[in-house]
Amino acid sequence: MKNFKLHGVVLLLVIIAELIGIHKFQLGVGVVVLLPMLYALIFGIFLAPKFLKVVNKVDMQDAGSLLGITLMLLMARYGTLVGPTLPKIISASPALILQEFGNLGTIFLGVPLAMYFGLKRETIGAAHSIAREPNVALIGERYGLDSAEGRGVMGVYISGTVFGTIFFGLMASMAAAYLPFHPYALAMASGVGSASMMTAAVGSLSAMYPQMSDQLVAFGAASNMLSGLDGLYMAIWIALPLTERMYKHIYKFKYGAYPTGEDAAK
Amino acid sequence: MKTYNMIETLIILVIVGIMSLIGNTIGSKNGFVEAIPGLLILIAIALVGIAMGKYLPGGIPGVAYVVTLGCILTYPGVPGADFINACMKKVGFLALCTPILAYAGVSIGKDLDAFAHSGWRIVVLSCVIFVGTYLGSAVIAQVILKYLGQI
Repeated sequence: MKNFKLHGVVLLLVIIAELIGIHKFQLGVGVVVLLPMLYALIFGIFLAPKFLKVVNKVDMQDAGSLLGITLMLLMARYGTLVGPTLPKIISASPALILQEFGNLGTIFLGVPLAMYFGLKRETIGAAHSIAREPNVALIGERYGLDSAEGRGVMGVYISGTVFGTIFFGLMASMAAAYLPFHPYALAMASGVGSASMMTAAVGSLSAMYPQMSDQLVAFGAASNMLSGLDGLYMAIWIALPLTERMYKHIYKFKYGAYPTGEDAAK
Repeated sequence: MKTYNMIETLIILVIVGIMSLIGNTIGSKNGFVEAIPGLLILIAIALVGIAMGKYLPGGIPGVAYVVTLGCILTYPGVPGADFINACMKKVGFLALCTPILAYAGVSIGKDLDAFAHSGWRIVVLSCVIFVGTYLGSAVIAQVILKYLGQI
């Protein structure tokens, strides 16, 4: 907290990153968006003793332990984004509300694959959700972002920030072209708690079904608001416990014994 | 993981608040002074939420209280909600992300080897996680819409 050098360095990173500003460019069929937070992250990494040697071990540790609290400010803003949309969320249709549980689908595909790749506690952070801001804050509070779980959630968060938009745009058009889903169902599925991912997915669908465009956009936006509200609660009470349980059983299957020591749940 | 008491927490929130304010001024059209009320409200919400997570029984994480408080205070019709909403319009969501990711970047420097080790795996995993969320929701929506006769 009293590490003034660290705060000074971070302030400088913020100023440089915001001066560079937002840049967008076309890549294939989608748009890649580069945000100031991404520059701040990358420049921050390059200050490490391995590269520019601006920060030392203590600075890096202090930064890690501060992260959990800094995220709370963002979460307060997040709540104030959701609040004004609540009346609309409450009047949503049963299909919209129930499809929210589909977001748990990530656990059933993600946990086995993560463990197949040899990840251990990283799995918990990486595979319990699609790792948007509330999930990063939750993992930060429960495990610390400088833990293995924290590395997992940060890895997926960064991947999503860098190419999530383009991926969702492509995925929606592929699903609409090759899978037997109604466009309404795909639009409802597009709301995963990230406005940019939802917009990209619904944008692709609207381009394919222009006559349904208004309805698709409405379903996507409503579902995204819902995910913004329920994502965190679902992660606390359903997704994290479920991920921990699957982790434990797959661990036993793979390594022949239940996890112990630093591989076990904290 | 190091823990902080409430006074230290407040100081950290104020430091990050000031950085967000500066970033918000540079990166958006919002003025420096007009964003101050919004940030003060955010600091208050965060502080109260963290305290509730710390001292209330039930083991509910502070982050849940923080988000819920933010929702309630801006729910249309709640006294003061219009004022808070107006203040919030001056504080960009992305501007709040920049200092956090700067701290995250500095902190990641410590675990570079671990990140490099799991790098490509995490990228592949991310794609599979996106597919899982999307198809999981699409299957449920399809079944319910069909059942309700809406498609």
